[in-house]
Amino acid sequence: MRVELTNITKLFGPLKAVDNVSLTIGEGDFFTLLGPSGCGKTTLLRTIAGFYNPDAGEIRFGERLINHIPAHRRETGMVFQNYALFPHLSVFDNIAYGLRARKIPKPEIALRVGRIIKNVQLDGLENRAPSKLSGGQQQRVALARALVISPQILLMDEPLSNLDAKLRVNMREEIRRIQKELGITTIYVTHDQEEAMAVSDRIAILNRGRLEQVGAPAEIYYRPESRFAAEFMGSSNIIEMDVTGWDEDHSRIAAETDGQRFSLRGEKPSGPRITLSVRPEWIRVVAGPRDGGANILPGTVLSSTFLGSMIRYRISGPGGKPVVIEVHDPDEGDIRKDGETLWYQLPPDRPLVIRD
Amino acid sequence: MRKYFQAWNIILVAIFVILFFAVLYPILYIFKASFVNPETGAFSLKSYATFLHYPYYLRCLRNSLFVSTLSTVFALAIGIPFAFFLSRYRIPGKNIIRTLGTLPLILPTFIGAEAWLILLGRNGLFAKMFHGIGIEIPSIYGWKGIVLVFTLQFFPFVFLMVSAALNAIDRSLEEAATNLGAGRLRVFFTVTLPVVTPAILSGALVVFYLCIENFGVPVLIGEDFRVLSVQAYNEFISELGGNPSMAGALSMILLAITLGLTIFQKYWVERKNYTMTSLNPLEVKRLRSLPTFLIWFFCAGVVFVALFPFAVVMVSSITKTQGPVMYFGQFSLENFIRAFTIAPRPIFNSFFLATVATLIGIVFGIVVSYLLVRKRGAVSYLLDLLVMLPLAIAGTVQGIALAATYNKGIIVLTGTWTILVLAYFIRKAPYSIKTTSSLLQQIDPSVEEASINLGVPPVRSFIRVVLPIMMPGIIAGAIIMWVTTLAELSSTIVLYYGPWATMTVEIFQRIGSGDFGPASAYATILIISVLIPLFILNRVSGKDLASSL
Repeated sequence: MRVELTNITKLFGPLKAVDNVSLTIGEGDFFTLLGPSGCGKTTLLRTIAGFYNPDAGEIRFGERLINHIPAHRRETGMVFQNYALFPHLSVFDNIAYGLRARKIPKPEIALRVGRIIKNVQLDGLENRAPSKLSGGQQQRVALARALVISPQILLMDEPLSNLDAKLRVNMREEIRRIQKELGITTIYVTHDQEEAMAVSDRIAILNRGRLEQVGAPAEIYYRPESRFAAEFMGSSNIIEMDVTGWDEDHSRIAAETDGQRFSLRGEKPSGPRITLSVRPEWIRVVAGPRDGGANILPGTVLSSTFLGSMIRYRISGPGGKPVVIEVHDPDEGDIRKDGETLWYQLPPDRPLVIRD
Repeated sequence: MRKYFQAWNIILVAIFVILFFAVLYPILYIFKASFVNPETGAFSLKSYATFLHYPYYLRCLRNSLFVSTLSTVFALAIGIPFAFFLSRYRIPGKNIIRTLGTLPLILPTFIGAEAWLILLGRNGLFAKMFHGIGIEIPSIYGWKGIVLVFTLQFFPFVFLMVSAALNAIDRSLEEAATNLGAGRLRVFFTVTLPVVTPAILSGALVVFYLCIENFGVPVLIGEDFRVLSVQAYNEFISELGGNPSMAGALSMILLAITLGLTIFQKYWVERKNYTMTSLNPLEVKRLRSLPTFLIWFFCAGVVFVALFPFAVVMVSSITKTQGPVMYFGQFSLENFIRAFTIAPRPIFNSFFLATVATLIGIVFGIVVSYLLVRKRGAVSYLLDLLVMLPLAIAGTVQGIALAATYNKGIIVLTGTWTILVLAYFIRKAPYSIKTTSSLLQQIDPSVEEASINLGVPPVRSFIRVVLPIMMPGIIAGAIIMWVTTLAELSSTIVLYYGPWATMTVEIFQRIGSGDFGPASAYATILIISVLIPLFILNRVSGKDLASSL
């Protein structure tokens, strides 16, 4: 089922929790709403579920406008952040709840619940009370309960945030596996960019109720459109420069900061200044100023963190702003001490320019 | 969705209407009456002037404050060490002592008063025994008896509150103090005691409140020692064409005190409470045998003295009696036979009224709790104030207010059983709301949303998911409502009329006329009716019911 949001706005008093958001979520997509707390992602999800009425805009499931369909008739399956298991019902009864509400005959309920229990690996726990389950098991019950009604759309509100780090990784792979198996359109809310990248087909980054960027994980990572998207999705060095020229034939920008000249790939700049987003692992440490062409500059090591497979330096950068560099698989002899000078190169051929 | 909210709005309005007519309006009515000259019908300060002018009335106020203060001091003196000993030291039979130690606050105070009359009254068992060997023991009548009964019945409140505070202290708190170089006594006086002080203060306020609003004890053993609640009742009852203004004025003075205490408690003391999440409770120490024995003796002794009167009443009920003279040692079932055959009506009345009031209270409690917890806002704040208000009104005052208000006019309820039910349910519903809403607070709203999301409409989701989860709180609340209604004397005595006398009224009147035998039979039925449901609930849910009073 395709989900289409058109100009959705949701107000809480004077606060625009969701501000004019339009999105299309394709059939069978695993779509993630990503953003910091308070960015409106949960509000948007709850609006889709029908717990909030949007103040403006339209929500469509497929072709059908569902703005005025009450929450209990939207045929969505929702997994809540705290699971919201019914504490007075057993695992089996929790999962069967939605089927009973739909007056499904008993034998079929037993069959479908049995099947989903197997799929989420809860065999043998049918008669347990939710309070007697571990966090991961509760999570599986919540997932099974949402899926067993064969919903058109699966909604998940930070489903992994209450689990410990290791379990979180296992569960997200499992959620992804089941989602692919069933081919169900899924809208997933999280504030964890790594989790978002790991599971999603597409991601929407939200900031203060507004949409920052929508795209596949790699698309956003390699080509962030805004400073916010760049910094929220992974880490990035933001560097501002003055434009000194534009070579239309080769799509190259000439720029300058702190007396240092740079040559960058990019479209025609819209103003006299440009902003770059440079991932730490894109920056190369070089032997000296003549080592490999353009964009080489010196810096002093301010601090370094050795992480085994990688070493991370903080280096004095252009305009006095520190730059973070990650060197992967460093040789022991190459490790620099604090205070040493180091030459590094910004990649000349990657698109670095972002909208500020 | 919108319809759903409209439904709740209609319910909200209905609840406000009920609360207005059952709580606020009657109070305003007697407030106004207290400023009206009953002869001329004009505005007048005469009643308040009379109160201030005649030492007789002022003495009532002084007496009330005197017995309440003294009882509070004694209740603290017993309750604080009781709590400390039980939560910090190993004592044999600790659980039984703890459970029995909370019982007095559920058992009706006027039955306690009756027991001490049986023991130390004019024809009292002990009084005669000691007289026989030439010792005159001090009279139980007057303030001494009142303070004795109050202290023994109300110290458990101090005990419960202080133990709750003690159990909330994390071990690391005292360890930190020790680590910083404080000795044992210094730790106690600089850390432990200050941390439980708000609880002690709360306990003191509750006890003071219960003393000053109590009617049964001073009316039974106070004799010439008049207190405010009793005097207000007297003015009202002897009224009949007499002085509603004076009864109103006395009620207002009592109301000002109880309301003041409640506000002080809610906005000052409660705010001082330290909230802690105790991961490791304080260590329970094992003392050497002599100190252990002394502590045990104190705790067991207190419980024994507090519960002994109720045993006395139960024994009296199966003892041959003739008016106030009891032939202890001579067994007889005559009292019960009389109660069940000749005058069974009060028994029926009590159970009927308590059950009806409880059933209404349950529904009311569920709805109000839901509104309070789920539909937060200015309106729910107002609702909270109004619905809890009866907890700050003395039973006598509420009785007088209701009786005076619905005596004439469009709605006449005075002289019907419905006014009793109204008074009971409005006075006891707060208990149900407390137990139900505290449980509801623990249920995340998403549980309800999960049900809606799975296809069950909102109201049905509430019934299928929220209600079952709230059930333990509803049951606990219902039992508290039921047992406290059964034991309610102060408002009943003002509001009942002839055929609708309850067991409490019957006990009260029989004691008044010196008929201790039949009084004890009804009292025994009452004690058992109160204890059985509490016992069952305690067994089933393991809940300490007294703590939710």
